[in-house]
Amino acid sequence: MRKKKGVTIAVIVLCVFMVFALSGCLGGREINDLEIVIGMGVDKDEKTGNILLTAQIVKEQAVGRSSGGSGGGGDEKAFWNVSSTGESIFEAVRQLTHKTGNRLFVSHNQAVIFGNDIASEGLQKYIDFFLRAHEMRPTVLILMAEGRASDVMDAKPDTEKFPAMNIAKLVKTYGYTSHLYKVNMKDFSECLMCSEKASFAPLITVSDNEGSKDVFVPGMAVFKNGKMVGKLGHGEVRGVLWVLGKVKSGVITVPSPDGGGKAILEIIEAKSKAIPEIIDGKIIIHVMVEVELSLSEQTTAENLATVPAFGKIQDASEEVVRKEIMAAFKKTSELKADIFGFSEMLYKKYSKEWKSMKDNWDDIYPTIELDIDVASRVVTTNLLRNPASPKEGEK
Amino acid sequence: MSIEKGRISGSQLLFMFAGFVQGSALLVDFTIGITEQQSWMVILAGLVMMVPFILSYAALAKRFHGKNLVQINDMVYGRFLGKVLSLYYIFFLSMTLSFNILDVGELYKNFLMPDTPFIFLLAVFAAACAYAVAKGIEVLARVSHLFVITGIFVIVSTFILLIDQMDFSNFLPLFELPLIRIIQGIHILSAIPYGETLVFFMIMGRLNNTERAAGYALGGLLIGAMNLLAVSVRNTAVLGRTQSIWTSASFQSIRLIDIGTVLTRMDFLIGIAQTILIFFKCSLFFYALATALSQLFGLKSYLPLILPLAGIEVILAATVFQSPVDHAVITQNAGIIYSSPLIYVFSPLTLLIAKIRSLPGHERGGGT
Repeated sequence: MRKKKGVTIAVIVLCVFMVFALSGCLGGREINDLEIVIGMGVDKDEKTGNILLTAQIVKEQAVGRSSGGSGGGGDEKAFWNVSSTGESIFEAVRQLTHKTGNRLFVSHNQAVIFGNDIASEGLQKYIDFFLRAHEMRPTVLILMAEGRASDVMDAKPDTEKFPAMNIAKLVKTYGYTSHLYKVNMKDFSECLMCSEKASFAPLITVSDNEGSKDVFVPGMAVFKNGKMVGKLGHGEVRGVLWVLGKVKSGVITVPSPDGGGKAILEIIEAKSKAIPEIIDGKIIIHVMVEVELSLSEQTTAENLATVPAFGKIQDASEEVVRKEIMAAFKKTSELKADIFGFSEMLYKKYSKEWKSMKDNWDDIYPTIELDIDVASRVVTTNLLRNPASPKEGEK
Repeated sequence: MSIEKGRISGSQLLFMFAGFVQGSALLVDFTIGITEQQSWMVILAGLVMMVPFILSYAALAKRFHGKNLVQINDMVYGRFLGKVLSLYYIFFLSMTLSFNILDVGELYKNFLMPDTPFIFLLAVFAAACAYAVAKGIEVLARVSHLFVITGIFVIVSTFILLIDQMDFSNFLPLFELPLIRIIQGIHILSAIPYGETLVFFMIMGRLNNTERAAGYALGGLLIGAMNLLAVSVRNTAVLGRTQSIWTSASFQSIRLIDIGTVLTRMDFLIGIAQTILIFFKCSLFFYALATALSQLFGLKSYLPLILPLAGIEVILAATVFQSPVDHAVITQNAGIIYSSPLIYVFSPLTLLIAKIRSLPGHERGGGT
C-alpha cells in the first residue's frame, strides 16, 4: 500500500516537472524581443567585396500608432532597414545583432532580393542559407534588383507601409497580366540542380516619379547555372508562360476586323501542352495552346459580336500568342538558355537519346523547331451585346 | 510459462502491423538519394519481396501457438544455439529501438523544438514508451486503430492540400536508374520499414487465434505500405528532383502548403502524426525487447526490466552516433547488413527445421 502511494507521488511530481519542461517555453521568445524580418536584400559591399545584407524589420510601435490612428507618427516609417556585412550570409545575419540587439526572426520573411552584382556573379553560393535555415520558408519569393537590392527595399509606396510587402504583392498578382511569374526558393533551387535547364526570377527596379520612388517589375532575369545571363521583357515572359501553361489572365490587343480600331481581349483561361519529338535527329516541340477570351473593350463602332468578326478576332489573337512564343524562343536561343525546360521534357521522354545530347545542349537548343498550334475562342462579350454607337442605318 | 497474459485479436494485429509500418514513413527518405523518382517502385517491390517472409512469421506463430521468439528458438535450435540466436534478435531489437528513439530526437531537434536539450527529448519519449509497455500489449493493441487512422488522416489531408503543386511528370523517366541502385533501394526498404516487423515474433504468440494470422499480418502490411507509397508519391510529385537535398522530404513538402495564404505552416501535422506513429512503433519494439530479455533470463514478468532498458536505450540513442549524417550512413549501410540474416534467413530456416523435426509436437514428445 505504502509502495503504491510512493509511486503515485512520484508520478505526480514527474507530471508537474513535465508541465514546465514540455510546455514549449524552453527557448521561448517574447514578441517584443523579436526582430520580425519581412524582407531581405543581398548586395556586394563595394568597399570590401563582402556580402552586404539588408534586413527590413517591422517596427511594432510605429505599426501600432499608425493603425490606432492616434496621429503623431504619420510620417514615421513602420519599418527599419538595417544592414551589415559578412563573408557569408549567415555571418552577416548574425552581425546584424550588433545593431538590433536581438536575433532576427525570419519566419515571416516575404521576399529575398539579390542585387545585380550578386546575380551576375551567380546565386549558387548565396542561396544555401535561405534553403537551410530553420525559420526560412521554402515559399519565400526570390527577386533580382536591376541595381542595388538595398535601394529597392528603401522605396516605400504611398499605399503600403512596408516596401517588402509591396514587392511581394507585385509579384503575387502576376496573374493579372502574366507578364511575370512568381518564383520561390523551392522553384529556384530545383532549377539550380539542373545544369541544362535555365531558370528565371522577377526583376525589380526603382523609378523616380517626380520625387517619389516607385518600384516596378520590368520583366524577368534569366539564369544559367545560377548566373544571370540576360533579361526577358513582358511579352517574352508571357511567351514562356504560354508554353509552360502558367498564363492565368492578361490582355491581348488585336486590330478590329474593319481596321477602324482595336479589340481588347481578356484571357479567361489558358491551357497548354508541349510534347517533344525527335524525327531523323531533328528535335521538334509540338506546342498546343488553348485560350478562352472575353471581349473586354473595343475602340471601333463596328459591332464585333458577330460570328465573322469573332472568327477574325480569334485568328488575330492566335497570331499574337504565336508571336509571343516565338519571340521568347528567339531571345532564349540567343542566350542559349533553355527556359522552357525542353531539356527536361526530352530527358523524360527520350532518356536514351538525351544522353548523347546532354553535353552539346547549348548548341542544340537554338536548332529546335517549334510547331505551335494555338486555338482561341471568344466566350463572352461581358455586359455589352453591341457597342454604344449608332446602328448602321441610323448613321 | 508465459511472461505475458494479455491476448490480442486478429483485427488488432492488422492495425498493429499497419501502424508499425506507418511509423517508418520518414525513413522512406533513406532511399530517395539512391532511387530518386523511382522510390515508389521500390516501396512496392520491397512489399512484394517481404510477403514470403511475413508468411513465414505467421506460419511459425501458427505452428508454435502461444510461444514467443525466444521459446521457439530454444525449441528449434536447442538451448545453447537457441539462446545465442535469441541474443542476436535482442541485439537487433535493442539497436533498432535506439535508432528509432534517435529519429524522434532528430525530428524534434531539426524541425519542432531546436532549442530543447536533445537528451531531454529522448528521455521524455522513452519514458512515454516505457509507460505504454508497462500497461501491456493488450492496451497498445486496443488503441492501435486510432494511431493508424490518425496517420491516414494526415497523409490524405496533406496529399489533398498539395495536389495543386504536384507535377506527375516528376516520375519520368520510369526505368532510368541502374538496376544496382534499385536493388539497393529494395534492400533498404525491405529491411527497414518492412523487415523491422520481426518484432511481431514476440507479439504474434499472444494472438487468441492464429488460424488467420497470415491474412491479418499481410493486410496490415499492405495498409502500411500504401501509406508509405502515398508519402513517397506526394514528396516526389511536389519536390521533384529537389527531394533528395532536404533533411526530410516530407517536412519540406508540407512546408509548401499555401492555400490562399491562410492554410500555411502545416508542419505541425507531420510533427503530430510522426510522434504518434513512431511512439507506437517504438513501444512495440520496446515491448518485444523487454519480453525477449525477460524470457531469456527466465523472469516471471518483464516489468522490472522496463526502466533500466529505457535508460540504456536513451544512452545508446544519445551516444551511438556522432551526427545525423553518421546516423543515416550507418543505418543505410551497416544497419541493413546486421539485420539481414534475421529478416531473410532465420525465420524461413526456423520454419524449415521445425517442419523437418515436426516441431513442436516432437519437442513436447521429447519431454522438454
